[in-house]
Amino acid sequence: MNKKDDNIIICRCEEVTLGEIKQAIREGARDVTGIKRRTRAGMGLCQGRTCEKLVQQIIKEELGKKVEEIGTSTFRPPVRPVTFGTLGGK
Amino acid sequence: MENYDTVVIGGGVIGTSVAYYLSKKGVKVALVERGDITSGTSGRCDGNVGIADKQPGLDTKMAYNSQLLFKELFEEIPYNFDYTQRGAIYIIESEEELSVAEEYVKKQVEDGYPMRMMDKSEIHDDEPYLAEDIVGGVEIGCDLSLNPMALAFGLSLEAKRNGAVVFDYTSVTGIRLDKKGIVEAVETDKGVLTAKDVVNCAGVWAPHIGKMVGLDIPIKPRQGQLLVAEKTFPVGKRKIMEFGYMMAKFGDENYKRNVRPELENLGIAFVFEPTLSNNFLIGSSRAFVGFDTNVSVEVMQGLAERAIRFFPVMKDIHVIRAYAGLRPYVEDHMPIISKVDEVPGFYIAAGHEGDGIGLSPLTGKLISQMITGEETILPIDTLSINRFKK
Repeated sequence: MNKKDDNIIICRCEEVTLGEIKQAIREGARDVTGIKRRTRAGMGLCQGRTCEKLVQQIIKEELGKKVEEIGTSTFRPPVRPVTFGTLGGK
Repeated sequence: MENYDTVVIGGGVIGTSVAYYLSKKGVKVALVERGDITSGTSGRCDGNVGIADKQPGLDTKMAYNSQLLFKELFEEIPYNFDYTQRGAIYIIESEEELSVAEEYVKKQVEDGYPMRMMDKSEIHDDEPYLAEDIVGGVEIGCDLSLNPMALAFGLSLEAKRNGAVVFDYTSVTGIRLDKKGIVEAVETDKGVLTAKDVVNCAGVWAPHIGKMVGLDIPIKPRQGQLLVAEKTFPVGKRKIMEFGYMMAKFGDENYKRNVRPELENLGIAFVFEPTLSNNFLIGSSRAFVGFDTNVSVEVMQGLAERAIRFFPVMKDIHVIRAYAGLRPYVEDHMPIISKVDEVPGFYIAAGHEGDGIGLSPLTGKLISQMITGEETILPIDTLSINRFKK
């Protein structure tokens, strides 16, 4: 992925571009959670299922780190979206 | 060995704000954070900047002054932290709550704050998805909301531009005092940073840093959980809380809400916060569970149940995530913003419980004024650590 591709969307749910992810890395992000907190990539409906591997790849290329160091985001319930009604018993 | 004027410990909204205000005054600052910026409590909370949930008097005055500072920050910092001033409302469930609310609003209006009662027809016109039986509300015109993580990133980047050095992924291992017991340096796993002043902004971890200089700091982690909803239509226009929230927050013994005892035991009170990302957050809960940040299904169910009680339309909206954060709880619900007489050069800015985001600019400003020897914009005696001395 070269510089001219900076406008491509990496996180589709939150519409976060490659350029924004690179910017977050320049501003100090070192792992998937750091990218998420700065850009919202992975915060949307799919909770990073679609973009997380791409985000890991970008960090790996930009910082020359191993995938183990980059980590995953923290998985939290509900694993799949659930309505307030189902959760709240109504 | 690197030399600084002040070392700030903790990279949440409090530490980054202290670093920002000090660096703005030309103080040579090092900010030390164990992980990434905003990887603790500031990354696991909501973004409310309110006077709504404050007790009349100093509590409200601090929150209001901090709101004024936020307006300056918004101009000063070229970083988008999703700042909006949409106001907040309390929703009232019963005639009994209504009379308590009227008393509260009267007091706040006498002190000059922009609050007023809303009657039943007005509140339902204004918030059409609200449950039909809600009898009225309180409007708080001045309340703001923002993205707390963006706030901390913006403050730390701006502090860097002012010359501060940020040591992220760096752990404090000790604090070195000279023969007279005065602060001399901070020891970290990456080296020693000398400084004449150290500010402990470590939030729920502040007692751990305090122990390094033999100090007992009475802060306990209090867990709060939140639900994140999917992007959807605007269910509500602004921050909306149940009036019982104040009762839950301050533990008013005289008042009992009409809820299941289980919800009361979990400290659950309805808080709705719409975000600029077109979704919303639902809180709140309170529990002392040590340093556990796992969410519990029981609390999630309680939060959802309470949300539907006030907004029945939410029953078909999806929850996409739940998370829990640890609020730095102090018994008297006031932060510790203080120098430490026994350890000259050691300062504490911690213990804000759920008010840390809202009070972050004020805290940064006050500490920077204390360190540079200026007069503080508000009296700080009551925020001193000395208030816990027996």
